Amino acid sequence: MFHWKKAVVILTAAALALTGCTAAGSADSADSSGGTLTLGLITPVSSFSAQGANWANQSPYMQAVYDSLLKADADGTIEPNLATEWSYNDDNTVLTLTLRDDVKFTDGTPFNADAAAQNLIRFRDGTSPNASFLVNLADAKAIDDTHVELTLSAPDPAMLTYLTQNAGLQESPAAFSSADVETVPVGSGPYTLNVGETVAGNSYVFDKNPDYWNPDDQHYDKVVMNYYADSTSLLNAIQGGQVNASTTIDNTTLDQISAAGYTLSPIENNWWGLIIGDRDGTLSPPIADPKVRQALNYAFDRNAMLQAFADGNGTVTEQIFPTTSPSYDESLNETYDYDPAKAKELLAEAGYPDGFDLTMPSSAGFGASNFALIQQQLADVGIRVTFEDLQVNDYITALVSGKYPVALMALQLDPTDWQLAQFSIDKSATFNGFHTDDPTVQGYITQLQTGTQEEAETAGKELNKYIVEQGWFAPWFRPELNFVSDANTDLTVQVGNSYPYLWNITPKG
Amino acid sequence: MLRFTVRRLVSGVILLFVISSVAFLLLNLGAGDVGRRILGPAATADTVALKNEQLGVSEPVIGRYFDWLGHALTGDFGTSWFTSQSVEQAIFSRLAVTLSIVIGATVVSGVIATVLGVWAARRRGWADKLVQVIAVLGFAIPGFLIAIFLVNVFALNLHWFKPTGYVQMSASFTGWLSSVTLPIAALSIGAIAAIVQQVRGSVIDAQRQDWVRTLRSRGLSENRIVYKHVLRNAGGPALAVLAVQFIGLVGGAVIVEQIFAIPGLGQISVSATAQGDVPLVMGLVVVVGALVVIVNLLIDLIQGFLNPKVRVS
Repeated sequence: MFHWKKAVVILTAAALALTGCTAAGSADSADSSGGTLTLGLITPVSSFSAQGANWANQSPYMQAVYDSLLKADADGTIEPNLATEWSYNDDNTVLTLTLRDDVKFTDGTPFNADAAAQNLIRFRDGTSPNASFLVNLADAKAIDDTHVELTLSAPDPAMLTYLTQNAGLQESPAAFSSADVETVPVGSGPYTLNVGETVAGNSYVFDKNPDYWNPDDQHYDKVVMNYYADSTSLLNAIQGGQVNASTTIDNTTLDQISAAGYTLSPIENNWWGLIIGDRDGTLSPPIADPKVRQALNYAFDRNAMLQAFADGNGTVTEQIFPTTSPSYDESLNETYDYDPAKAKELLAEAGYPDGFDLTMPSSAGFGASNFALIQQQLADVGIRVTFEDLQVNDYITALVSGKYPVALMALQLDPTDWQLAQFSIDKSATFNGFHTDDPTVQGYITQLQTGTQEEAETAGKELNKYIVEQGWFAPWFRPELNFVSDANTDLTVQVGNSYPYLWNITPKG
Repeated sequence: MLRFTVRRLVSGVILLFVISSVAFLLLNLGAGDVGRRILGPAATADTVALKNEQLGVSEPVIGRYFDWLGHALTGDFGTSWFTSQSVEQAIFSRLAVTLSIVIGATVVSGVIATVLGVWAARRRGWADKLVQVIAVLGFAIPGFLIAIFLVNVFALNLHWFKPTGYVQMSASFTGWLSSVTLPIAALSIGAIAAIVQQVRGSVIDAQRQDWVRTLRSRGLSENRIVYKHVLRNAGGPALAVLAVQFIGLVGGAVIVEQIFAIPGLGQISVSATAQGDVPLVMGLVVVVGALVVIVNLLIDLIQGFLNPKVRVS
């Protein structure tokens, strides 16, 4: 005889037994007293190993558990951290760092010059997305316990900045061979990962390191970092008061976030526009003519692009250098006022009075409807665009391997001119997909690398002016990225990074 | 019964083998540049090449498949390409979370659908029409819309629940109950709509049978006839629908977990599939596939228990 009531009880009991047997983290409400800081993030940790460390949106995870050799303040100025002093030799190819002698990793291993040297070499040889930061590091060796010497194959003006980021993170050498090296970090940082309460890929819990050498940077007893995969759940968490501070995904939600009592802290960390990469005309001969590239710049109503792509939140621009760079020149933003007639005139002068056909990549990741706007604006000047739709990651692969003469892209605004040049201008830059080798450009980049500070600044300004006038890119705008904080939390945004540095997020007052 | 069970288990294993083989080939044939996908736009071509070499993705697909199969047979599904977590740990730490929601939704929808279905079948008239309207609405409205509605009303406006997150039962039972109530409600509504129609139809059919008239003539109360005899007879088809719904609810949990930021299988299914995290997706295919096989087998056994006429000897 079957008993329904009994069956329901058994099923319920089975459910309870099944659900009680394993752990899962809690995205519990934020305690805004200063005891616990709950942060919202839009990416989980890809690796907790210092060797494979990511940065940008993953920087808070890393800064919780690791110290870097140097530290950058909010405007990017280099400050001491594990290294208290640093000096270069005369030709900037040997960098000597003096290290603290009172630091231990959380497993008890002492931090010293040998550990620093090992970490630097491992990062250079690893697969962090930023492993190339140390491409010029020929060798690193300990001189004694508190001095490490970095030998560079060529001067690297951004080396000190790199050492403030993931390239400078210090992990206990005893953990290098651990089977858990990717998931259980052993650093000397202000917090330690609470493995028991952490649900990888969802919620990461960090406890205060009681033996931390710099308690001034420990503003909370506990830090919880919750990953939100989409804008809806992130908005719900913010509106529900479940995070003290968070990055945002969608600028159209900013009004709702403000209404929930959060303060917006905007920062512009990337630029959107076209990479006009085929400057030698390999795939599309018209693109080799600077007049055609200039026409592409005149063809776009940048305010309309800003409205369409970023809901009007941001600043239109015609240059790829950030406002914080000494090379930034406000007057360059008047080079290409929206002028379709001028664009047509330039095309005619270049020998294309009837325009030309252009194949560009598209991807839903950029917003499908926005490509129609690009197509329309270029059609208005006679350039007939055909789109080939790609997955987001195939899109990037196609760009960096020079598969499309012109492509829409959002690229980071690096904190130093040298980094920016290495990322998107230099003949070997990742986003110089066709490896355009222009002697003028390379000359300016050499000056950035080897010149005095004054020479480098002059070269940077000339480089910026040259690539704007030559139409290497057609930048449209710098979108605002908004970081938000509740009434109990203060923060300072970080120049050149998507996420504020962890020690710059503090209890109110 | 033993032979039947063994036969079903063997066919389940073959099914899993076929599904996993096809999935592996499809995932790898369209994989593109894996290293670039993992490292993103900032990485240089050299770093991407090194990553690809470490992952062995430049090896022929067939070789990689047998390598994966050999490890999978020993319970080693590898490591997630994107979170560096072992696939077994990633899945089993989340399986309980998803099951708590899916089993909860199955129980809730089964109970409510049975009550409503019997009520509609017995009362007919306006009650029947009302239940049918509710069923159509519940079926027509997508689960994610219901989830968003529930969050807005009960979490963000009334503040009865937290809008996102999951509390493990061992940490706090009431916290757990609070964290799963809205997700279960969001999942249950569609399932209730599907099951209630089946229960209603089965009960109406059973009530017309000669043996029910015989029971009435013997003076049994209507409640006893319905709850003790009719419902048991009607339970088989309803259970079959419930089984289908259980599998459907595992799928529905994908979206609901995403909206409520719940660390379940659904959440990693979405991210792993979108990223092309082959080891994790393969682990999910095997585990969810096994779950489907086991649930279907259990339902067959329960149906036999409920109704001896369908029992397999």
